[in-house]
Amino acid sequence: MELVRSARPEAVLALPGAAHRGATGRVGGTDGGAVPRAASGPVRADLGEVFRAEYPRVVGVAARVLGSRDSAEDVAQDVFLSFARSSVPAGEARGWLSVAAAHTALNLLRSGRRRASREETAAAADDVVAPDVADAVVTLEERRRVRAALARLPRKQAVALVLRHSGMGYADVAAALDLSPGSVGTTVRRAESALRKELDHHASSD
Amino acid sequence: MRHPTEGVLRRLVDEPAGVSDADRQHVADCPVCLAGLAAVRADAAAVGAALRSDDAVHPDPAAAWQRLSSALPARAATPAPAPARRRGGWLHRPAAAVLASVVVLSGAGVAAANDWLPIFRTEQVAPLEVSTADLVALPDLTAYGDVELTGDDGPHAVPDAATARAESGLDVPEVSALPEGVEGEPTYQVVGELSGVFTFSAAEAAEAAAATGEPLPPVPPGLDGSRVRLTAGPGVAAVWSQASGMPTLVVGRAVAPSASSSGVPFETVRDFLLSLPGLPDDVAAQLRTFTADGSTLPIPVPSDLVETSQSEVDGLPATVLESRDQALAAVVWVDDGVVTLVGGALGADEVLGVAGDLG
Repeated sequence: MELVRSARPEAVLALPGAAHRGATGRVGGTDGGAVPRAASGPVRADLGEVFRAEYPRVVGVAARVLGSRDSAEDVAQDVFLSFARSSVPAGEARGWLSVAAAHTALNLLRSGRRRASREETAAAADDVVAPDVADAVVTLEERRRVRAALARLPRKQAVALVLRHSGMGYADVAAALDLSPGSVGTTVRRAESALRKELDHHASSD
Repeated sequence: MRHPTEGVLRRLVDEPAGVSDADRQHVADCPVCLAGLAAVRADAAAVGAALRSDDAVHPDPAAAWQRLSSALPARAATPAPAPARRRGGWLHRPAAAVLASVVVLSGAGVAAANDWLPIFRTEQVAPLEVSTADLVALPDLTAYGDVELTGDDGPHAVPDAATARAESGLDVPEVSALPEGVEGEPTYQVVGELSGVFTFSAAEAAEAAAATGEPLPPVPPGLDGSRVRLTAGPGVAAVWSQASGMPTLVVGRAVAPSASSSGVPFETVRDFLLSLPGLPDDVAAQLRTFTADGSTLPIPVPSDLVETSQSEVDGLPATVLESRDQALAAVVWVDDGVVTLVGGALGADEVLGVAGDLG
């Protein structure tokens, strides 16, 4: 029997929905996630396939903005719920999902409803006990500032910046944002320049 | 030549292939642009570092899919009493996962090499009823030797039944009348042959036994280093799903598994494995009923989640599996070395109806 099991039988048919149907989701929870319960309507047939392929990327984009995995996963839920009812062509799904994740995360950032990340909570806890926390605090403070500044950037700059820093190529960023490939570098550069000024300004005024 | 823009310099930082040769050449020879490039690079690095998340984002797609699925409309009214989270292995999964595993398992045994003695061929399906807890208590074979899997490239979707047939050599069963609630066209999946080889190691087995605090039973002569191979596949499946992606009906067919051993007879390996510490007596006794001529396919079924009963499909003995909340059911039978499964979010009568009418 063990031998049978060693053939890794579950590999054959992924039945994600069936395998997890009994679990309780946190959708629509009160923990700050911006995840509305889905309304009724047709759900696209390729949802599972696209989800498997793109979920980590979508979480990665949102995490760039929010700095927290939990918040990023909430955003990803929101984005895939929207995608589930969309008629976005499959070939454009990656760009669409990435842009949607960036916008949703930026909205959350701007609204200030983001949960305190574990990272920050843990770092705060460390502050109490660590003797030499100066460096860590500066870094944390820098991250907080850079995200505050990110929320104030022109939206297209912020999205382009986040997509680029999530590993998306210039041509893909251009296609996703309807920019010319040549202007992606300019847009990203403006965003970085503004954020860097923000960091330097605070660093010099401390 | 005018200096390239800052946007060009920015692209030069991380996608230089996208910058024209002329611009690259200019920057390489221009002190002003080189200084600009350094500044652009420094800003990009600083912002990149500030945006990076230290916990490096290891999302949990399985849990996320579960959460997403529960937010989308589902046909099934009663959720299965499933464990909330996938934990470590399929043993904790609810019935549907078990049913799926049966399909796969049933992929099957071809290609026994010449030095392999065929010892096991599935002719009949016999469910093994144990509780989930018992299954978890079974010793992991990796503690007793090496387990090597080959051909495990997983299932893949194919566009239609004809392609599924071409890739697997198996006819995809045709369903003449879909049960109520099952709609639309199926998707087709094919899995190739899977093979697992277990090489027994007396030394590792002794260590594992010592870890449990019990002595290792005497190792039969010749067992150390002997190997058992289980081969499964190919298999095909037609899957009807809800719009949310949740399967409502699965019809799968696969060449039945076979096992073969080198060194010592299969019975010797089997009986020794059965005698290992940690195996409940009643489970061991049931396992012993699996004969070397391989007339049965042991399907591990968590008895706290699934009820089994015997039935017939086209005059052949068949095993019916039903989840205890009656949300899921499946029927499995073997015909001439080929295992067929019909299962889904249906009742036992419905799956038997589909099974009886398969084309």
